[in-house]
Amino acid sequence: MAEMSPKDQLALHEFSVRYREGYAKSHPLSDLHLETIQDAIREQYQQEQSAQQAPKPESPTPQKSPEPEEPEP
Amino acid sequence: MDDLIKLVRTYRLTSGLAERTRLAEPIFRKIAPDLHLFVFSHISDRNADDVFQEVLKAVAVSLKTFKGITEKQFWAWCYGIARNKLNDQYRKQASDRMVPVPPEDLWQMIEVSAQDAPMTPEVRHDLEYAMKLLTNSKPECYDFLWNHFVFGLDYGEIAADRNMSYDNVRMKIGRCLETAKSLVS
Repeated sequence: MAEMSPKDQLALHEFSVRYREGYAKSHPLSDLHLETIQDAIREQYQQEQSAQQAPKPESPTPQKSPEPEEPEP
Repeated sequence: MDDLIKLVRTYRLTSGLAERTRLAEPIFRKIAPDLHLFVFSHISDRNADDVFQEVLKAVAVSLKTFKGITEKQFWAWCYGIARNKLNDQYRKQASDRMVPVPPEDLWQMIEVSAQDAPMTPEVRHDLEYAMKLLTNSKPECYDFLWNHFVFGLDYGEIAADRNMSYDNVRMKIGRCLETAKSLVS
């Protein structure tokens, strides 16, 4: 297999750069999509907050049961 | 350090909602067009917008977990998310693969870019040649050549996505390009 020539490499690179530039100009981020992103970030943030506020599970060590009262003499 | 990765790293360290939302906007204004192109060139138009939205949401939700330090790593991470969403769609609808973009549509984007950076006749000639290489490739080569030469994915990233070895991808792309060159000249 022949190595790709520098000229081909350069042409393909220039094409990629220009094509993506033109595409980006023709397809900017829409307000609707920005809203979708902001909603996702908000949901993620709320989940993080709920996870932080959730009560921690109780310690698994058994609680000492109260001493039985001494019988009245 | 590039602006994009600076923004992403700042986002990662940010805990407040207002600040995250503020930082997300310039990040997504930079990456959304390339992700749009990636999705729309890998899937039919009828489902592409839904998949694109899923990709944006997934990137937004996972942005704080991105571990890389370079812009190249960040792009590879974003394209990885996009590929996963595309694969989900392919599993739902196996026939929903990309359709090659017609050369006239490709050239239209080149003309748009030339509004800011005019082309010399030599550059124009080279770009036409590059476009012919990409559009004259065999159907099974199209995806390989686009992923490598237009989206900038390296052999390793394509190999991981395709379950192929690095060397097989390298040879496949080389052969595809040779064939395209023989068809162009």
